[in-house]
Amino acid sequence: MGTVVTFDIYDDEGIDPGTLLPFLAKAVATLHRVDKDFSTWKPDSPLSRLRRGEIALGEAPIDVTEVLENCKGAKELSGGWFDPWRLPGGVDPTGYVKGWAAQRALEDLVGSEVGGAMVNAAGDIASFGGPTSDGPFRIGIVNPSSPTSLACTVELRGAIATSGAYERGEHLFNPFTDRYETAFASASVTGPDLGLADALATALVVGGEEVLALIEGVYDYEAMVIGHEGAMKWTTEFPFAT
Amino acid sequence: MLSVTVTVTGSKITKVTIGTLNDGGNFRSQSIDQMAIPQLEQQALQAQSASIQGVSGASYTSAGFELSLQDALKTLGFK
Repeated sequence: MGTVVTFDIYDDEGIDPGTLLPFLAKAVATLHRVDKDFSTWKPDSPLSRLRRGEIALGEAPIDVTEVLENCKGAKELSGGWFDPWRLPGGVDPTGYVKGWAAQRALEDLVGSEVGGAMVNAAGDIASFGGPTSDGPFRIGIVNPSSPTSLACTVELRGAIATSGAYERGEHLFNPFTDRYETAFASASVTGPDLGLADALATALVVGGEEVLALIEGVYDYEAMVIGHEGAMKWTTEFPFAT
Repeated sequence: MLSVTVTVTGSKITKVTIGTLNDGGNFRSQSIDQMAIPQLEQQALQAQSASIQGVSGASYTSAGFELSLQDALKTLGFK
């Protein structure tokens, strides 16, 4: 069990590992701390204890309160399609936490003053800068019907999250039908913050066209979906690479 | 106990592997066969021609990562 987070660091002037490593160590520590606090797999994590009602929210680490507050905001923005409170087994903010954790790990790297950095948490990417000072990162989006090939390429400014059932099977829960099912094969959301992008991508892949229309109205966030039959749709400013 | 692996290649830090982050199952790695690996490398070479630095897709597990385009990008040392 477990997943993989990759870090990519770029700078036109070259990188001194001795300077970078303390920042990287801090970023990795952030990921471990979030895992410790929010794991639903570890029975003694604060989140697991909260889910069982053994502790009150006020007794959990302050991060748990912050995450659940942010999840409330994401639930409202998504028209209720992202709803950690409706999941079987009790409140489960995992659909937000992974992106939030990667975004925080990225922020730990800002002080290193490198030109560009990406934190890729199992396919969801937080970034600043680019591979050179000339332009942004270019990111491929996996083709859901053939996951070793790409469906399209985007110019990344900030974050991108993609949700779909093609890696792990139907694990995406529809809060309105109480069933594990998806409206699209793949849903990607770009924007400044990976936590919110992650939550909106989760909402979009389950909620379908209604959520795509909602994201059109969310400032600075864009979305692209690939249907089960392969048809693509996107919001007007989705940053396709040329 | 979580294990952490950091790989530094030249001036570029390429891979940090951590033990767990709320994930389960390895749906695709069970359904993929050995033939998929050379195919994956070929697709990664195509990705290189698209000049990308990363890949976004549905969440994979650490087992799934070994078969992902993102990992193939790293293995082939793309910039």
